[in-house]
Amino acid sequence: MTYQLYRNTTLGNNLQESLDELIQGSLNMYRFCDNVWTFVLNDVEFREVTELIKMDKVKIVACDGKNTGSNTTE
Amino acid sequence: MDQNNSLPPYAQGLASPQGAMTPGIPIFSPMMPYGTGLTPQPIQNTSSLSILEEQQRQQQQQQQQQQQQQQQQQQQQQQQQQATAQQATSQQATQVASGQASQLFHSQTLTTAPLPGATPLYPSPLTPMTPITPATPASESSGIVPQLQNIVSTVNLGCKLDLKTIALRARNAEYNPKRFAAVIMRIREPRTTALIFSSGKMVCTGAKSEEQSRLAARKYARVVQKLGFPAKFLDFKIQNMVGSCDVKFPIRLEGLVLTHQQFSSYEPELFPGLIYRMIKPRIVLLIFVSGKVVLTGAKVRAEIYEAFENIYPILKGFRKTT
Repeated sequence: MTYQLYRNTTLGNNLQESLDELIQGSLNMYRFCDNVWTFVLNDVEFREVTELIKMDKVKIVACDGKNTGSNTTE
Repeated sequence: MDQNNSLPPYAQGLASPQGAMTPGIPIFSPMMPYGTGLTPQPIQNTSSLSILEEQQRQQQQQQQQQQQQQQQQQQQQQQQQQATAQQATSQQATQVASGQASQLFHSQTLTTAPLPGATPLYPSPLTPMTPITPATPASESSGIVPQLQNIVSTVNLGCKLDLKTIALRARNAEYNPKRFAAVIMRIREPRTTALIFSSGKMVCTGAKSEEQSRLAARKYARVVQKLGFPAKFLDFKIQNMVGSCDVKFPIRLEGLVLTHQQFSSYEPELFPGLIYRMIKPRIVLLIFVSGKVVLTGAKVRAEIYEAFENIYPILKGFRKTT
Protein backbone atom coordinates (compact mmCIF):
# COMPACT_ATOMS: atom_id res chain seq x y z
CA MET A 1 0.00 0.00 0.00
CA THR A 2 1.44 3.34 -0.97
CA TYR A 3 1.54 5.80 1.87
CA GLN A 4 4.02 8.18 0.39
CA LEU A 5 1.16 10.16 -1.02
CA TYR A 6 0.20 11.14 2.49
CA ARG A 7 3.54 12.75 3.21
CA ASN A 8 2.39 16.00 1.76
CA THR A 9 -0.82 16.04 3.72
CA THR A 10 -1.07 17.99 6.92
CA LEU A 11 -0.03 14.88 8.76
CA GLY A 12 2.92 14.41 6.51
CA ASN A 13 3.92 18.01 6.88
CA ASN A 14 3.77 17.74 10.64
CA LEU A 15 5.82 14.57 10.55
CA GLN A 16 8.37 16.38 8.47
CA GLU A 17 8.43 19.26 10.88
CA SER A 18 8.83 16.84 13.75
CA LEU A 19 11.70 15.26 11.92
CA ASP A 20 13.29 18.63 11.50
CA GLU A 21 12.73 19.57 15.10
CA LEU A 22 13.96 16.21 16.31
CA ILE A 23 17.27 16.84 14.69
CA GLN A 24 16.98 20.28 16.23
CA GLY A 25 17.32 22.24 13.08
CA SER A 26 20.57 20.72 11.96
CA LEU A 27 19.15 18.74 9.07
CA ASN A 28 20.61 20.50 6.09
CA MET A 29 19.31 18.28 3.33
CA TYR A 30 17.70 14.94 2.70
CA ARG A 31 17.16 12.84 -0.38
CA PHE A 32 15.48 9.60 -1.21
CA CYS A 33 16.11 8.07 -4.62
CA ASP A 34 16.56 4.48 -5.79
CA ASN A 35 15.65 3.36 -2.29
CA VAL A 36 18.67 5.11 -0.85
CA TRP A 37 18.37 7.77 1.80
CA THR A 38 20.96 10.54 1.98
CA PHE A 39 21.07 13.02 4.83
CA VAL A 40 23.38 15.94 5.40
CA LEU A 41 23.50 17.16 8.98
CA ASN A 42 25.28 20.17 10.45
CA ASP A 43 26.82 20.65 13.89
CA VAL A 44 26.50 17.07 14.97
CA GLU A 45 27.50 15.49 18.27
CA PHE A 46 28.12 11.78 18.39
CA ARG A 47 28.01 10.62 21.93
CA GLU A 48 29.18 7.30 23.22
CA VAL A 49 29.62 6.39 26.85
CA THR A 50 33.26 7.41 26.95
CA GLU A 51 33.63 9.59 23.91
CA LEU A 52 32.16 12.74 22.48
CA ILE A 53 32.80 13.62 18.84
CA LYS A 54 31.69 16.90 17.31
CA MET A 55 31.48 17.53 13.60
CA ASP A 56 30.41 20.41 11.42
CA LYS A 57 29.05 18.36 8.59
CA VAL A 58 27.89 14.76 8.46
CA LYS A 59 26.63 12.91 5.42
CA ILE A 60 24.64 9.76 6.07
CA VAL A 61 23.89 7.35 3.24
CA ALA A 62 21.48 4.61 4.15
CA CYS A 63 20.21 1.71 2.09
CA ASP A 64 17.27 -0.43 2.86
CA GLY A 65 18.25 -3.94 3.60
CA LYS A 66 16.87 -7.07 5.06
CA ASN A 67 19.66 -7.15 7.62
CA THR A 68 20.93 -3.67 8.38
CA GLY A 69 21.32 -0.27 6.77
CA SER A 70 24.93 0.65 6.00
CA ASN A 71 26.22 4.06 7.11
CA THR A 72 29.19 6.08 6.01
CA THR A 73 30.23 9.41 7.37
CA GLU A 74 32.61 12.02 6.12
CA MET B 1 -19.28 57.92 4.16
CA ASP B 2 -18.97 55.33 6.79
CA GLN B 3 -15.52 53.89 6.69
CA ASN B 4 -16.91 50.45 7.20
CA ASN B 5 -18.11 50.58 3.66
CA SER B 6 -14.66 49.76 2.43
CA LEU B 7 -14.67 46.35 4.10
CA PRO B 8 -16.08 43.27 2.47
CA PRO B 9 -19.27 42.09 4.11
CA TYR B 10 -17.66 39.24 5.94
CA ALA B 11 -15.29 41.59 7.69
CA GLN B 12 -17.89 44.12 8.69
CA GLY B 13 -18.21 42.75 12.16
CA LEU B 14 -14.51 43.16 12.69
CA ALA B 15 -14.19 46.81 11.96
CA SER B 16 -16.45 48.00 14.73
CA PRO B 17 -16.70 46.52 18.16
CA GLN B 18 -19.76 44.51 18.83
CA GLY B 19 -22.72 46.61 19.73
CA ALA B 20 -21.37 49.68 18.04
CA MET B 21 -23.94 52.02 16.75
CA THR B 22 -22.68 52.26 13.23
CA PRO B 23 -21.52 48.93 11.98
CA GLY B 24 -22.45 48.19 8.45
CA ILE B 25 -25.07 50.43 6.97
CA PRO B 26 -23.83 53.96 6.78
CA ILE B 27 -26.85 56.17 6.47
CA PHE B 28 -29.07 55.43 9.45
CA SER B 29 -28.92 57.93 12.24
CA PRO B 30 -29.12 56.55 15.76
CA MET B 31 -32.47 57.97 16.66
CA MET B 32 -34.18 57.35 13.40
CA PRO B 33 -37.58 55.90 14.12
CA TYR B 34 -38.35 52.57 12.69
CA GLY B 35 -41.13 54.02 10.63
CA THR B 36 -38.75 54.87 7.88
CA GLY B 37 -37.84 51.33 7.03
CA LEU B 38 -39.52 48.01 7.31
CA THR B 39 -36.38 46.21 6.34
CA PRO B 40 -33.00 47.73 6.97
CA GLN B 41 -32.55 49.41 3.63
CA PRO B 42 -30.40 52.46 3.62
CA ILE B 43 -32.03 55.69 2.63
CA GLN B 44 -31.19 56.37 -0.93
CA ASN B 45 -29.66 59.82 -1.03
CA THR B 46 -27.71 58.38 -3.83
CA SER B 47 -26.18 61.22 -5.69
CA SER B 48 -22.67 60.51 -4.49
CA LEU B 49 -22.73 56.73 -4.45
CA SER B 50 -20.49 54.75 -6.69
CA ILE B 51 -21.42 51.40 -8.11
CA LEU B 52 -19.00 49.69 -5.76
CA GLU B 53 -20.66 51.19 -2.71
CA GLU B 54 -24.01 50.23 -4.16
CA GLN B 55 -22.96 46.62 -4.52
CA GLN B 56 -21.57 46.55 -1.02
CA ARG B 57 -24.75 48.01 0.34
CA GLN B 58 -26.79 45.42 -1.49
CA GLN B 59 -24.67 42.68 -0.02
CA GLN B 60 -25.20 44.15 3.42
CA GLN B 61 -28.92 44.26 2.83
CA GLN B 62 -28.99 40.65 1.78
CA GLN B 63 -26.95 39.71 4.79
CA GLN B 64 -29.26 41.55 7.11
CA GLN B 65 -32.35 40.10 5.53
CA GLN B 66 -30.98 36.63 6.00
CA GLN B 67 -30.14 37.40 9.58
CA GLN B 68 -33.60 38.83 10.06
CA GLN B 69 -35.23 35.65 8.90
CA GLN B 70 -33.12 33.62 11.24
CA GLN B 71 -33.98 35.88 14.10
CA GLN B 72 -37.73 36.00 13.65
CA GLN B 73 -38.47 32.66 15.22
CA GLN B 74 -36.21 33.29 18.14
CA GLN B 75 -37.70 36.64 18.91
CA GLN B 76 -41.40 36.09 18.54
CA GLN B 77 -42.00 35.76 22.26
CA GLN B 78 -39.83 38.75 22.97
CA GLN B 79 -41.72 40.83 20.47
CA GLN B 80 -45.10 39.97 21.86
CA GLN B 81 -44.01 41.12 25.25
CA GLN B 82 -42.52 44.23 23.82
CA ALA B 83 -45.61 45.00 21.79
CA THR B 84 -47.78 45.07 24.86
CA ALA B 85 -45.17 46.93 26.84
CA GLN B 86 -44.69 49.52 24.17
CA GLN B 87 -48.28 50.46 23.97
CA ALA B 88 -48.02 51.39 27.58
CA THR B 89 -44.59 52.93 27.70
CA SER B 90 -42.84 55.24 25.37
CA GLN B 91 -39.39 53.85 25.45
CA GLN B 92 -37.90 50.50 24.92
CA ALA B 93 -35.06 49.41 27.10
CA THR B 94 -33.95 46.23 25.53
CA GLN B 95 -31.95 45.84 22.39
CA VAL B 96 -33.93 46.43 19.26
CA ALA B 97 -33.05 45.23 15.82
CA SER B 98 -34.62 46.53 12.70
CA GLY B 99 -36.09 43.08 12.30
CA GLN B 100 -37.88 43.40 15.56
CA ALA B 101 -38.98 46.82 14.57
CA SER B 102 -40.59 45.54 11.44
CA GLN B 103 -42.61 43.05 13.45
CA LEU B 104 -43.78 45.75 15.79
CA PHE B 105 -44.57 47.98 12.88
CA HIS B 106 -46.94 45.44 11.47
CA SER B 107 -48.61 44.78 14.74
CA GLN B 108 -49.35 48.42 15.39
CA THR B 109 -50.52 49.36 11.89
CA LEU B 110 -48.79 52.69 11.74
CA THR B 111 -49.68 55.09 9.02
CA THR B 112 -46.33 56.72 8.60
CA ALA B 113 -44.94 55.65 5.28
CA PRO B 114 -41.25 55.41 4.52
CA LEU B 115 -40.15 58.30 2.40
CA PRO B 116 -37.06 57.59 0.40
CA GLY B 117 -34.48 60.20 1.09
CA ALA B 118 -36.18 61.57 4.17
CA THR B 119 -34.99 61.27 7.71
CA PRO B 120 -37.79 62.68 9.84
CA LEU B 121 -36.50 64.37 12.93
CA TYR B 122 -39.46 63.56 15.07
CA PRO B 123 -41.35 60.32 15.10
CA SER B 124 -45.08 60.24 14.63
CA PRO B 125 -46.67 60.90 18.01
CA LEU B 126 -48.38 57.55 18.02
CA THR B 127 -45.18 55.59 17.65
CA PRO B 128 -43.06 54.97 20.70
CA MET B 129 -39.53 56.19 20.52
CA THR B 130 -37.47 53.18 19.80
CA PRO B 131 -33.75 53.68 19.98
CA ILE B 132 -32.72 51.62 17.08
CA THR B 133 -29.19 50.46 16.89
CA PRO B 134 -28.90 51.09 13.22
CA ALA B 135 -27.99 48.10 11.19
CA THR B 136 -26.86 46.04 14.12
CA PRO B 137 -28.69 42.93 13.11
CA ALA B 138 -30.32 40.98 15.86
CA SER B 139 -27.66 38.36 15.39
CA GLU B 140 -24.38 40.25 15.35
CA SER B 141 -21.49 38.92 13.37
CA SER B 142 -19.63 36.41 15.38
CA GLY B 143 -16.46 38.39 15.87
CA ILE B 144 -14.53 35.18 15.22
CA VAL B 145 -12.43 34.88 12.12
CA PRO B 146 -11.51 31.43 10.86
CA GLN B 147 -7.77 31.02 10.38
CA LEU B 148 -6.51 29.44 7.21
CA GLN B 149 -4.54 26.28 7.90
CA ASN B 150 -3.82 24.78 4.51
CA ILE B 151 -3.97 25.78 0.87
CA VAL B 152 -3.65 23.31 -1.99
CA SER B 153 -2.81 24.73 -5.38
CA THR B 154 -1.71 23.46 -8.78
CA VAL B 155 0.43 24.90 -11.51
CA ASN B 156 1.70 23.73 -14.87
CA LEU B 157 5.42 24.12 -15.45
CA GLY B 158 4.79 23.63 -19.15
CA CYS B 159 7.50 21.10 -19.98
CA LYS B 160 8.22 17.44 -19.49
CA LEU B 161 10.46 16.69 -16.53
CA ASP B 162 12.95 13.95 -15.76
CA LEU B 163 12.05 13.06 -12.20
CA LYS B 164 15.19 11.05 -11.54
CA THR B 165 17.39 14.01 -12.43
CA ILE B 166 15.35 16.24 -10.18
CA ALA B 167 15.48 13.77 -7.29
CA LEU B 168 19.20 13.26 -7.59
CA ARG B 169 20.22 16.87 -7.96
CA ALA B 170 17.68 18.83 -5.95
CA ARG B 171 17.81 19.15 -2.20
CA ASN B 172 15.06 17.82 0.04
CA ALA B 173 13.48 15.60 -2.55
CA GLU B 174 12.06 12.08 -2.40
CA TYR B 175 11.34 9.86 -5.35
CA ASN B 176 10.13 6.30 -5.11
CA PRO B 177 8.56 5.47 -8.48
CA LYS B 178 7.45 2.06 -7.28
CA ARG B 179 5.22 3.73 -4.73
CA PHE B 180 4.27 7.05 -6.26
CA ALA B 181 5.06 8.52 -9.65
CA ALA B 182 6.10 11.98 -8.48
CA VAL B 183 8.96 13.73 -6.74
CA ILE B 184 8.03 14.99 -3.29
CA MET B 185 9.97 18.15 -2.60
CA ARG B 186 9.84 20.45 0.40
CA ILE B 187 11.00 23.95 1.11
CA ARG B 188 11.31 25.65 4.46
CA GLU B 189 10.00 29.09 3.65
CA PRO B 190 7.05 29.05 3.16
CA ARG B 191 6.89 25.64 4.77
CA THR B 192 5.27 23.63 2.00
CA THR B 193 5.43 20.36 0.13
CA ALA B 194 5.20 19.92 -3.61
CA LEU B 195 4.37 16.91 -5.75
CA ILE B 196 6.12 17.27 -9.06
CA PHE B 197 5.02 15.03 -11.91
CA SER B 198 6.83 14.07 -15.08
CA SER B 199 4.17 15.80 -17.16
CA GLY B 200 5.35 19.10 -15.72
CA LYS B 201 2.34 19.57 -13.50
CA MET B 202 2.82 20.31 -9.84
CA VAL B 203 0.73 20.33 -6.68
CA CYS B 204 1.75 22.63 -3.84
CA THR B 205 0.36 22.05 -0.35
CA GLY B 206 0.80 23.31 3.19
CA ALA B 207 0.80 27.07 2.73
CA LYS B 208 -1.22 29.23 5.13
CA SER B 209 -2.26 31.93 2.68
CA GLU B 210 -2.97 32.40 -1.00
CA GLU B 211 0.10 34.54 -1.51
CA GLN B 212 2.33 32.08 0.30
CA SER B 213 1.02 29.27 -1.84
CA ARG B 214 1.80 31.18 -4.98
CA LEU B 215 5.22 32.19 -3.71
CA ALA B 216 6.07 28.62 -2.75
CA ALA B 217 4.96 27.32 -6.14
CA ARG B 218 7.20 29.89 -7.77
CA LYS B 219 10.12 28.77 -5.64
CA TYR B 220 9.63 25.16 -6.68
CA ALA B 221 9.42 26.25 -10.30
CA ARG B 222 12.68 28.12 -9.89
CA VAL B 223 14.36 25.05 -8.42
CA VAL B 224 13.25 23.01 -11.42
CA GLN B 225 14.36 25.78 -13.74
CA LYS B 226 17.82 25.90 -12.17
CA LEU B 227 18.20 22.20 -12.80
CA GLY B 228 18.04 22.97 -16.50
CA PHE B 229 14.42 22.49 -17.43
CA PRO B 230 12.56 25.24 -19.35
CA ALA B 231 10.02 25.69 -16.61
CA LYS B 232 7.20 28.20 -16.92
CA PHE B 233 4.43 29.15 -14.50
CA LEU B 234 1.16 28.46 -16.24
CA ASP B 235 -2.39 28.31 -14.88
CA PHE B 236 -1.67 28.69 -11.20
CA LYS B 237 -4.90 27.89 -9.41
CA ILE B 238 -5.87 27.43 -5.82
CA GLN B 239 -7.84 24.20 -5.58
CA ASN B 240 -8.74 23.98 -1.93
CA MET B 241 -8.55 26.07 1.21
CA VAL B 242 -8.93 24.82 4.77
CA GLY B 243 -9.73 26.99 7.75
CA SER B 244 -10.43 26.39 11.40
CA CYS B 245 -11.77 28.27 14.39
CA ASP B 246 -13.24 27.90 17.83
CA VAL B 247 -16.69 29.09 18.84
CA LYS B 248 -15.65 28.75 22.50
CA PHE B 249 -18.70 26.84 23.70
CA PRO B 250 -19.67 23.15 23.59
CA ILE B 251 -22.19 22.06 20.96
CA ARG B 252 -25.03 19.54 21.01
CA LEU B 253 -24.17 17.62 17.86
CA GLU B 254 -27.04 15.22 18.33
CA GLY B 255 -29.54 18.05 18.24
CA LEU B 256 -27.87 19.60 15.23
CA VAL B 257 -28.02 16.41 13.20
CA LEU B 258 -31.71 15.99 14.03
CA THR B 259 -32.75 19.41 12.80
CA HIS B 260 -30.34 19.73 9.90
CA GLN B 261 -30.37 16.16 8.76
CA GLN B 262 -30.35 16.99 5.09
CA PHE B 263 -27.00 18.71 5.53
CA SER B 264 -25.43 16.78 8.40
CA SER B 265 -23.99 13.38 9.00
CA TYR B 266 -22.91 12.40 12.46
CA GLU B 267 -21.64 8.91 13.26
CA PRO B 268 -19.75 9.16 16.54
CA GLU B 269 -18.66 5.56 16.25
CA LEU B 270 -16.93 6.36 12.98
CA PHE B 271 -15.75 9.90 13.56
CA PRO B 272 -16.29 12.22 16.50
CA GLY B 273 -17.13 15.24 14.38
CA LEU B 274 -20.36 16.16 12.67
CA ILE B 275 -19.91 16.59 8.92
CA TYR B 276 -22.03 19.50 7.72
CA ARG B 277 -22.25 19.97 3.97
CA MET B 278 -23.36 23.52 3.40
CA ILE B 279 -24.98 24.23 0.06
CA LYS B 280 -24.28 27.90 -0.20
CA PRO B 281 -21.41 28.37 -0.20
CA ARG B 282 -20.42 24.84 -1.03
CA ILE B 283 -18.27 24.17 2.00
CA VAL B 284 -17.90 21.16 4.23
CA LEU B 285 -17.64 21.86 7.94
CA LEU B 286 -16.42 19.47 10.60
CA ILE B 287 -18.08 20.44 13.84
CA PHE B 288 -16.89 19.03 17.12
CA VAL B 289 -18.41 18.85 20.57
CA SER B 290 -15.67 21.07 21.92
CA GLY B 291 -16.80 23.92 19.70
CA LYS B 292 -13.95 23.69 17.28
CA VAL B 293 -14.91 23.94 13.64
CA VAL B 294 -12.95 23.00 10.53
CA LEU B 295 -14.06 24.41 7.18
CA THR B 296 -12.85 23.02 3.90
CA GLY B 297 -13.63 22.93 0.21
CA ALA B 298 -13.25 26.61 -0.49
CA LYS B 299 -11.77 28.03 -3.62
CA VAL B 300 -11.59 31.55 -2.17
CA ARG B 301 -11.14 32.89 1.34
CA ALA B 302 -14.52 34.60 1.33
CA GLU B 303 -16.30 31.25 1.12
CA ILE B 304 -14.71 30.15 4.38
CA TYR B 305 -15.76 33.34 6.11
CA GLU B 306 -19.24 33.23 4.64
CA ALA B 307 -19.73 29.61 5.65
CA PHE B 308 -18.69 30.36 9.19
CA GLU B 309 -20.97 33.36 9.46
CA ASN B 310 -23.78 31.12 8.23
CA ILE B 311 -23.10 28.33 10.71
CA TYR B 312 -22.40 30.46 13.76
CA PRO B 313 -26.00 31.36 14.62
CA ILE B 314 -26.99 27.75 14.09
CA LEU B 315 -24.28 26.59 16.46
CA LYS B 316 -25.33 29.17 19.03
CA GLY B 317 -28.75 27.60 18.95
CA PHE B 318 -27.26 24.25 19.86
CA ARG B 319 -25.01 25.44 22.61
CA LYS B 320 -24.69 22.98 25.46
CA THR B 321 -26.08 24.51 28.61
CA THR B 322 -24.89 21.91 31.13
